[in-house]
Amino acid sequence: MFTFIKIALRNIIRNKRRSLITVSAVGFGLGALIFIWSFVDGAHIQMIENYTSLLTGHIQIHSRGFNQREQLEINISNPQEIINIIEDESPLVEASPRIKAFGLISSPEYSSGIIILGVDPLQEIKVSSLHKRLKSGEFLDEAESNEIVIGESLARNLNVSLGDKVVIMSQAFDGSIAAGAYYVKGVLDTGAEEIDKSVVLIAYDAAQELFVMPDRASEIVLRLENVENSPAEALKFRQLLSGKGLEVLPWQEISPILKQWIEFDNGFIWIIVMVVMIVVAIGILNTVLMGVLERTREFGILLSIGTRRRQIITTVAWESLFLGVIGSLIGLCIGYFLSVYFGTAGIDLSVFTQALSSFYMEAVIYPRLSLGHLLTSMALVLFTSIIVSVYPAWHAANLKPVEAIRSI
Amino acid sequence: MLIQIRNLTKIYKVDSIETPALRGINLDIERGEFLTIAGPSGSGKTSLLNIIGGLDTLTSGAVLYENTDITKISISRLASFRLKQIGFVFQAYNLINTLTAVENVEYVMLLQGVDVKTRRQRAVSMLERVGLGEYIKRFPNEMSGGQQQRVAVARAIAAHPKVVLADEPTANLDSKSGEALIGLMRQLNEEKNITFIFSTHDKMVMDKAKRQVFIRDGEIQK
Repeated sequence: MFTFIKIALRNIIRNKRRSLITVSAVGFGLGALIFIWSFVDGAHIQMIENYTSLLTGHIQIHSRGFNQREQLEINISNPQEIINIIEDESPLVEASPRIKAFGLISSPEYSSGIIILGVDPLQEIKVSSLHKRLKSGEFLDEAESNEIVIGESLARNLNVSLGDKVVIMSQAFDGSIAAGAYYVKGVLDTGAEEIDKSVVLIAYDAAQELFVMPDRASEIVLRLENVENSPAEALKFRQLLSGKGLEVLPWQEISPILKQWIEFDNGFIWIIVMVVMIVVAIGILNTVLMGVLERTREFGILLSIGTRRRQIITTVAWESLFLGVIGSLIGLCIGYFLSVYFGTAGIDLSVFTQALSSFYMEAVIYPRLSLGHLLTSMALVLFTSIIVSVYPAWHAANLKPVEAIRSI
Repeated sequence: MLIQIRNLTKIYKVDSIETPALRGINLDIERGEFLTIAGPSGSGKTSLLNIIGGLDTLTSGAVLYENTDITKISISRLASFRLKQIGFVFQAYNLINTLTAVENVEYVMLLQGVDVKTRRQRAVSMLERVGLGEYIKRFPNEMSGGQQQRVAVARAIAAHPKVVLADEPTANLDSKSGEALIGLMRQLNEEKNITFIFSTHDKMVMDKAKRQVFIRDGEIQK
């Protein structure tokens, strides 16, 4: 076996320039692939992080059916008990209860349909980043029951500003009219238009009073240490809370559109993967096939002195594999260093800020190197290099010794 | 009898045009012979040598090697037959360019499954025997034609074949190198009782042979 490896390696060295061009093409292709994949992964992580930190959280717990119907009647009684169970099981998980209802907000001049969120100010800042998205004013204060935070677009539509009074109206849990006057304490600019024009925040205690829901919540929002663990943690909590009539949903189930968008993006990446693999395949095939055709006479000699066909195939496959391995190592270095460098320095895309914000991305994207994608890329290059060796190897192994030796 | 050739014909067919190369050859070859098959270009001597070596197929007839007809065995068994029984020396040296002299000589033994130490010892010893003891680490392109041909002889002999087939081995060598090479092969023939079969039209080679066979237009001349 070692001799066949030696022959393969020396054949690569024999055609230095051709081999160098091939491994460079493979290397740059793979490097670009690793970097693009890291970039997309970084963008996805940013999207998920920003999206989940705005409102969704990593996991939500509801009374069963709430996610479908979002009715006030479907609620969790004694939410603190659920939070205690969660925190006992996973002390690092942050949890915050919310009341969620639909209603109408009115200023002296205008009115608009809204989603009212009753949030616990002290806990909410641990599960969402809404408090960091204030354009003006301050976030809610637990002690104040008549304050409201609204989105920038809504403030503009209502023609209100900080300190102005607004009235919200809805239907309470007991069927009565829920109405209250609030003073604008803060104006949000989340970058997500649907939030900025339709979501208002009031204190959890005030919401319990407004909707006549003492000791009840519409949902409990959880934030994990690592968003990537959401499905596994949701499953764990689902088992932990089984029999309580609750639904425990990771963000992927709460927002399937975001999940689908990411899946679409990942699908697109596979098109890039295919293009790179075609480039790799053509590069290696060209070099190996040229090498085989040039050495027809040599293969004739090898066959005539008793080399078996499978040994010829092995030699050609080793050549192809070596080109793949060397190209992969070059690509790995290029991809790794680009991803690590820009993973720290970031890639400034501020010219596209408007477009990026609608996808929950920021102006600077930090590529994130994934070991899985790195290994997948390398494995694909090596697999491709083996596959493309099939034809040249088959050609070499099926030469007729006499005719091959006669060839120039 | 080592080799028996019976009614051997070989017809090359290109499109629908048939060109007979060998026409009913009958030949017996004993173990230990030093035999030349001589004849002008296109007489069929290389075709005959290729068929004896199992490198080419025949149109009709039989080639019996120790009573086994090698024209009836599979490609895989034929490769094994060539590996174990036949050594080849080609006109154009035909060494493997990516292997050094000693690695070229070792190569056939590697295919035969000879262990590393033994094959290295045998290869070095054989290269010393052909006068290339100081060239063992040279690649073919670093040696002269005569030296390359001696490596080819060493490769053919080191694997302990019963027969060495040499197709015009001196054709690309100057007369001095050619004579030295044939002298060396004759010595090996006598020392190791290896059967040598040459195709040639070189008078010097024919003069060194124990037996000469002449072939013309695909037929052996009486």
